[in-house]
Amino acid sequence: MATLPHDDVYQLIREPIDVAALARLVRAPEDGAVVTFDGFVRNQSHNRATLYLDYEAYESMALAKMREIGIQIHGKYRVHRVAMVHRLGRLEIGETSVFIAVSAPHRAAAFDACRFAIDTLKRTVPIWKKENFADGAVCADVELPPAPAATPRAKPAS
Amino acid sequence: MTVLFFGRLKDVAGHAADSAEVADAATIEQLFALYMARYPELAKYRSSVVASRNQEFAAWDTPLRSGDEVAFLPPVSGG
Repeated sequence: MATLPHDDVYQLIREPIDVAALARLVRAPEDGAVVTFDGFVRNQSHNRATLYLDYEAYESMALAKMREIGIQIHGKYRVHRVAMVHRLGRLEIGETSVFIAVSAPHRAAAFDACRFAIDTLKRTVPIWKKENFADGAVCADVELPPAPAATPRAKPAS
Repeated sequence: MTVLFFGRLKDVAGHAADSAEVADAATIEQLFALYMARYPELAKYRSSVVASRNQEFAAWDTPLRSGDEVAFLPPVSGG
């Protein structure tokens, strides 16, 4: 199996993600570009006001899948360093849930790799969010989004 | 073998991890059927659940061996 450059970062963390530090970390003198993706908690979803999100992961597999994405990136694109960090636990509106930074000598590879990274993460990394809405409804993974009217699965706020 | 449940499946099964013994060469499908018999509500998630064996996504007809780590995963929704 291909190995990853030692300078890459793949992490699951429970504290706020330091996006500026990660963007700095991937920079090196031989690079000419850093592209970042900052995914953060939206204040609404399915036409409902969101209160907060809970993220959980199959942590060992999630990290393995994140590293696999890194290996694919280094095989496909002329990039230098990759940082990919996902946060777990309770996240409030506006807090970063996922951050990806890619450095490269030239911008095109960095843009392409960053796009590939987030798109692949969303398909293959075992992480789940549970959406807690202002009206007390909860929407988790296998469930359909709650309908505007009360549904059998919508739970009252506790 | 170790069996793990995540997301909503963990609530339905009532626990995140279980220890199971299955006949040699039993498949992931057969293992899930065991749990559906125990927790009938799991059946309604069958079509959307994905399985993994030893931390790799695995087809439902994958045969199992003792010592495997099997997980039942809702559709991923990270990011």
